[in-house]
Amino acid sequence: MKLRTIKYFFKESFTSLIRNRWMSLASIGAVASALIIFGSFLLLSVNFDYILKDVESQVEITAYLEDSVDEAGISELNKSIGAIEGVKEVKFISKEDAIEEFKEQVGRELLEGIENPLPNSFRIKVNDPHEVGTVAEKIQRFVGIEEVKYGKGIVEKLFNIIYWMRIIGMVIMAVFAAVSIFIISNTIRLTVFARRREISIMKYIGATDWFVRWPFLIEGMVLGLIGSSLAIGILAVAYNYLFITVKINLPMIALLPIEEFYNYALGFLGIGMLIGAFGSSFSIKRFLKV
Amino acid sequence: MIEMYGVTKIYPGGQVALKDINLKISKGEFVFVVGPSGAGKSTLIKLIFREEVPTRGQIFFAGKNITRLKHREVPYLRRRIGIVFQDFRLLPEKTVYENVAFAMEVVEASTRDIRKKVPQTLERVGLFHKANAKPSELSGGEQQRVALARALVNNPDILVADEPTGNLDPDTSWDIMNYLDDINKRGTTIIVATHARELVDTMKKRVIQLEKGSLVRDEERGAYSK
Ligand SMILES: Nc1ncnc2c1ncn2[C@@H]1O[C@H](COP(=O)(O)OP(=O)(O)O)[C@@H](O)[C@H]1O
Ligand SMILES: [Mg+2]
Repeated sequence: MKLRTIKYFFKESFTSLIRNRWMSLASIGAVASALIIFGSFLLLSVNFDYILKDVESQVEITAYLEDSVDEAGISELNKSIGAIEGVKEVKFISKEDAIEEFKEQVGRELLEGIENPLPNSFRIKVNDPHEVGTVAEKIQRFVGIEEVKYGKGIVEKLFNIIYWMRIIGMVIMAVFAAVSIFIISNTIRLTVFARRREISIMKYIGATDWFVRWPFLIEGMVLGLIGSSLAIGILAVAYNYLFITVKINLPMIALLPIEEFYNYALGFLGIGMLIGAFGSSFSIKRFLKV
Repeated sequence: MIEMYGVTKIYPGGQVALKDINLKISKGEFVFVVGPSGAGKSTLIKLIFREEVPTRGQIFFAGKNITRLKHREVPYLRRRIGIVFQDFRLLPEKTVYENVAFAMEVVEASTRDIRKKVPQTLERVGLFHKANAKPSELSGGEQQRVALARALVNNPDILVADEPTGNLDPDTSWDIMNYLDDINKRGTTIIVATHARELVDTMKKRVIQLEKGSLVRDEERGAYSK
């Protein structure tokens, strides 16, 4: 392709963008909304994931021992539990340790003179929080284990929430993307209509389909690009604000660093451009059949 | 240059526009296609530059069967054909020069060629002095000459014109015909569909007469009617 031809394509596209400025703005707005909504859900779920990783690393299993288990049995169990796949760390807490810890929490005087009711126990950490359930089940089966406890259900629920958040984000994004494609294709249709005479002359002279098509594709892609850039800008400002607010007011919650957000920017530009290209190719198709 | 064998064209509505046409037009010929309105003249022209495809029969252009041309091959056929319409079909917002240059831009000619060929071709149709005018500032005859220049600028093998003088007064029509004759004398094959009886009678070129879609007469140095 000649440089002059490329210049011609861009000149034509930008002329149309300006000529149909209201439709162009509507298209840009539609693409931006689609991507802002998608981006919000994405950031929400990514952050949830990120925070959960933190919480997860604190998820522990507590296995209470029957009183009948002796010293040898304890070290035997300790070894067996440590050998389970996915177990990161096993820590033995004796009755005495447990009551000491408890006294620390509720106050020493209150428990003075009462016989220690707490059993011996193990605290177990796992590598992958997703496996807490299965590991707990395996521990439960050992002889000498009275009861196994962990944040049953909570972990699963949190994962479920993240999962659904992503699905909903995707669905809403798909709907908005379809709306954007529709609006862009209507914008381009106006351009095609304004230039139908020129297009038919071009075809008679012997222009190839691609020669006719490029200016419209570029117009659509430019609309998509501007829309997605707008979305990135707005999301970046909003997220930055959120990040700082959370950091000041809720310092214990660690949000995904703002730099990570920019990793998604390129993907957003790509999606915007694709939406634009799709929208315009719908409108041109009919006009090329001369 | 062009050969048609048993060409029939039936439009989707069932209208039979051409019936079993056989003809051969050689390189360098000047041919009038005549006949009353609705006889099929425009359809015959459209078949040549493949705006329409025949329902039956075969058409050859420079030895190549164009009935089975792929969609993406059509532009390259059209680059060998200059097309002129009754309504000129110029771009109103472009100047005379730009309208002609546009034809070369579309086929991605080099800037150097465009700068050389466009003034040359405008000179050929006597419009070099109007290069910067807009079509709306020109007379009908001048507009048609711009269209001629645009059709010629890419050096087509053949020029087809569908009622090129249909919108023009007799004097101007003569003028256009003289330009066409001149273009023909320099080697370009020319096919003109027309109603203009007087012009056909005077020019004494080959005449192909259509009636209700059938070829009823094909005569060298003929007149508009027998
Ligand atoms: N696109 C079309 N669809 C249906 N019928 C058509 C179409 N074009 C032409 N016709 C019909 O075909 C016949 C021949 O038309 P045309 O080739 O335009 O004749 P001419 O140019 O000699 O006046 C006419 O009856 C016309 O109504
Ligand atoms: Mg006609």
